[in-house]
Amino acid sequence: MNDTAQRTGRQAAERPDSARVVITGLGVFSSIGIGAKEFTEGLRAGRSGVSPITAFDVTGYDRANGCEVRDFAPQEWITRGPASELGRASQFSVVAARMAVRDAGMDEDELRGRRVQISIGTTDGESRDMDHLAASWVSDGPEAFDPGLSRRLSADRLSASVAQELRLTDAECVTLATACSAGNYAIGHGFDALRMGDADIALCGGADAMCRKSFTAFYRLGTIAPDFCRPFDVDRQGILTGEGAGVVMMETLESALARGARIYAEVLGYGLSCDAHHPVSPEQSSIERCMRSALDDAGVAPEDVDLISAHGTGTRMNDVTESRAIRGVYEGRPPRTISLKSMLGHTMGAASALAAVACSLAITHGFIPPTINHRRTDPECEIDCVPNESVDADLRVVQNNGLAFAGNNAVVVLGKY
Amino acid sequence: MTAATLAITDWSAVSPFGTGRDAFVKGVRQQQSTAVQLDRERWGGPDDVACLVPDFDVRTVLGKKGTRSMNRVTGLAVATSGDLLASADGLEVPRESTAFVLGTTVGSAQSTIDLTRGSLTGERPYHVESGLIPYAVMNGAAGQCAIWHGLRGPNATLSAGRPGGLVALNYARRLLLSGRAAAVLCGAAEEYSDARAWIDHHSRDDGAAGPVLGEGCALFSLTTQPELPPLAELLAVASGTFADGDREGAVARCVRRALAAGGAQAQQVWVACPSGAAGAEGDAEIAALNGLFGASRVGTPVAALIGETHAASASFELAALLSRAEDDASCAGRTAVITSVDPGGTAAAALLRLRPDR
Repeated sequence: MNDTAQRTGRQAAERPDSARVVITGLGVFSSIGIGAKEFTEGLRAGRSGVSPITAFDVTGYDRANGCEVRDFAPQEWITRGPASELGRASQFSVVAARMAVRDAGMDEDELRGRRVQISIGTTDGESRDMDHLAASWVSDGPEAFDPGLSRRLSADRLSASVAQELRLTDAECVTLATACSAGNYAIGHGFDALRMGDADIALCGGADAMCRKSFTAFYRLGTIAPDFCRPFDVDRQGILTGEGAGVVMMETLESALARGARIYAEVLGYGLSCDAHHPVSPEQSSIERCMRSALDDAGVAPEDVDLISAHGTGTRMNDVTESRAIRGVYEGRPPRTISLKSMLGHTMGAASALAAVACSLAITHGFIPPTINHRRTDPECEIDCVPNESVDADLRVVQNNGLAFAGNNAVVVLGKY
Repeated sequence: MTAATLAITDWSAVSPFGTGRDAFVKGVRQQQSTAVQLDRERWGGPDDVACLVPDFDVRTVLGKKGTRSMNRVTGLAVATSGDLLASADGLEVPRESTAFVLGTTVGSAQSTIDLTRGSLTGERPYHVESGLIPYAVMNGAAGQCAIWHGLRGPNATLSAGRPGGLVALNYARRLLLSGRAAAVLCGAAEEYSDARAWIDHHSRDDGAAGPVLGEGCALFSLTTQPELPPLAELLAVASGTFADGDREGAVARCVRRALAAGGAQAQQVWVACPSGAAGAEGDAEIAALNGLFGASRVGTPVAALIGETHAASASFELAALLSRAEDDASCAGRTAVITSVDPGGTAAAALLRLRPDR
């Protein structure tokens, strides 16, 4: 390795193939579809993943809709040991990673001979298990904690379990616990590891399981919508919590071309920033700084960007701050800006990973997924959110925003290869 | 591995030895044991003893402003980063270019469980303390460090088990080499709490006795442009797993790969520092290092003095290595290895050059 190829900021076409990173496999488990094909259909149709929450007892909450992955059957994908030995978030990350590898046409035996970067983002890790411990504590005291749950709580298991299931020994496993932008952090980390020659293959994305803790936290902050999530709508009332996983398999362009892989999209670059401002409220200038650094890293100008997949939670605070930041960077002329959370709910650490999968599919198939449940755009947002109906579009560059509690911002820029 | 220098210019720790780098160096030098009898009025876990940061109370240490709901792990991280920034003459970079990278296991198990307990016991299920919410999310501590110290560069919280402190160094390395940051504060933190103690207790078969738990935070300043000769250079980090069941083989493979990437020979290594893992993982780690370096060059883990600090354990091993290097001029210019291993199946090794001649 040398350090000449490590700084990006150059247009992708000017980079050597060994320093270009492409997405060649997609793994997706979501409330609107499982697998790339079904997910694409869901995105095109503007499908809603909303249903009444069943993950925990919702007695006493006045509103309790969410976006759950129904009929999740991890045992079809997890073969090494009983799937029930993993927490639900780890089940999601493992199945999505295996699906991404299969989708990429990579034989698992061959993968075991490669150096693999596994980066999985999450907000809550195995907080659903932690909820069960909390319930034990209340009913019987902490003396009654379940040993099986106690052993699998550490958030590192979301990434380490991928290596265990796929029997990858030459892997660096990292769980990025940067909350609701963590999927983008994970993809960015894999991008750097590949460009620097630290890894041959990267399995990156995000996973979260619906849990009482997160739902209650957002509820307490007054941000849970009563029925649907309506980002950028003047009558929006907040988020719906969701769950699922998105994992992309990435490799250098050199590697993808050598094995004749299908290329969904190229990762052009990414940016990170921290607000250093408030634990839960976003800060406009820091979001702008993050977007600018991502575009610089990608070697593209704002006018090159055809679509923004916004963080777009559907809270007033987020939507107004984020759309102002977008208008700031795009000098009042932003491209079409959608929120996938209208369909998927807020899948926490999986959100920006599922969005990256969606952006890759949008680039591949030439369409823009809609922002559903939309009636009237908030004049304070001033963006075209592609309401309710998907549209066909040739997308060359797409920006994927992820914002989070703790002011952890991460923006990934994808391009058509 | 790379032409760029990854310099460790300074560090600090808030540990069972006390607050600050000097307290840690002194603790290592004097081989102080730190286990104390727990006050049963304050702690309700299964343990009689633990290695606590002495007299650490968040509001006493950090003051009453902005700390009302702050949990212990955040207090430890804010105090450590504050101490490091106060002493860091070398960190003359804008805070926009300063990254913060923190290893964790689950953030705070106590805060996370407390939030749900509040939901289960409150008059309404959503009557929970709003101030607790940021601390019941894993990136709460790193976010608070950014707020307290105005660190606006990349801010990352990562969980990689006991090797987390070494994986965090690799993350920092990539931020520096990619130009995403000009300086990085990097390390890991772990708090002692009733919840963590109970979880640890139940995670062992039939409640068998485990290592004494410890806590604390250690952070290191890294940059590619040191103004003064650094304390050490990070030459390489290599990670792996024992998904094939071979723990010893995994540790040895990580060490060999780190040596190869850093252009070092095993026979030239000054010391190899294991992480002091309990059980089969710890035995395998020692066996791997004994095989590669001979028992005389394998150090005693600082965990023997400050307890099992889980996510923070590898960062404390690095702090202990730098402490020993301060006291021993014979290490100048020589390489050292730090390893770690986790029951979850992962291992890692870091290779450093101590007191490089510049």
